[in-house]
Amino acid sequence: MAQYDTRFAVGERDSGVRKVSRLTWRVGLVGAAAAGLVGLVLAHPASASRQQAHEQPGVIIIPGQPPQPSTGGGQVTSGAS
Amino acid sequence: MTVADVARDSFDVFGTTAVLLVTSRRAASQARAIADRQLAAIDLACSRFRPDSELMRLNAAAGSGAQRVSSLFADLLAAALRAAKLTGGDVDPTCGRALVGLGYDRDFAEVRAAGDAPPRLTGPVGPVPGWHRVHLDHVARKVRLDRGVQLDLGATAKAWAADRCAEQIADKLDCGVLVSLGGDIAVAGPPPDEGWQIRVTDDHDAPPSAPGQTVRISIGGLATSSTTVRAWKVGGRPVHHIIDPATGEPARSCWRTVSVAAGTCTDANMASTAAIIRGAAAPSWLHDIGLPARLVREDGTVETTAGWPRDYGPGDAA
Repeated sequence: MAQYDTRFAVGERDSGVRKVSRLTWRVGLVGAAAAGLVGLVLAHPASASRQQAHEQPGVIIIPGQPPQPSTGGGQVTSGAS
Repeated sequence: MTVADVARDSFDVFGTTAVLLVTSRRAASQARAIADRQLAAIDLACSRFRPDSELMRLNAAAGSGAQRVSSLFADLLAAALRAAKLTGGDVDPTCGRALVGLGYDRDFAEVRAAGDAPPRLTGPVGPVPGWHRVHLDHVARKVRLDRGVQLDLGATAKAWAADRCAEQIADKLDCGVLVSLGGDIAVAGPPPDEGWQIRVTDDHDAPPSAPGQTVRISIGGLATSSTTVRAWKVGGRPVHHIIDPATGEPARSCWRTVSVAAGTCTDANMASTAAIIRGAAAPSWLHDIGLPARLVREDGTVETTAGWPRDYGPGDAA
């Protein structure tokens, strides 16, 4: 009887461990999928905010420094086209 | 990295000349491929001279319901509307009808080749409809034009394209780059040791010896607007492509050419165009914003603002 109880207990323990293991995997997979979704959702705003930083909507962006004097003909010409 | 190590490429696009400079010779062909892809997509989105462009389809739908547009077109239109807002409506994307009325309804080479043509529209054009009549839902990528509105993104699209190309090339190839589209110049990434050397003059196609001034920049953009280059005749009257939204006619300005440096080429271009339209009020406007600029009067005399260097060297004159 005692032997049967022990086997039963061991079986129940192993079954519990398998359930916990499966649950852990599922939680992990769901977490990874959620992380991927969050990444996809945030990818566009990140790109958009970079663009907005590049083109601040409310002001004309002044240059980091004004043009500096130089000599010669230049590598390229800025004129109207 | 010195100027001598820079790789150079030049090609035709948007009816003008593009110049591509990169600080890595190995990256030159890839840089060109990136630029080609971007420019082809932008042309298909907003050309006023090809019937399959999104812009032409949208113009044809003016007065009807909202139209779905591509993400790229939405970005281009947003840039145009931002320019209109930041210039108090001086740079307005609803001048399409005014330009068509002046005969500018095809590639400029064909307009020029046609010579003195009769006007397409009889009678005064009047003020353009105004940018508030363009309704963009950027998130939903939907655009609705009020009846009578005809878009032309020419005042911003070329400069925006230069910014886009420069940014993408620098990001993807990790090199310094200068993109010039018909003289609208954007730079990104680490510049050569001496900076990017730019000859500022009336015509982007002019030789390096042309009257003007040479400056160098390391970041941002530099653009030049002028009434002297994209000019033609209609009904015996000389006209040009910079439309004053208040009249619907070519701007009558005391400046023949204005060059501006800004944080981006798009911003430099909107400011230089607005300065032509603002006329005598332009220097104080540019000064108040803090934009370095070089303004050339009809008689060739030069005024500068906000730290733009004084003309330097014997060849530096308007």
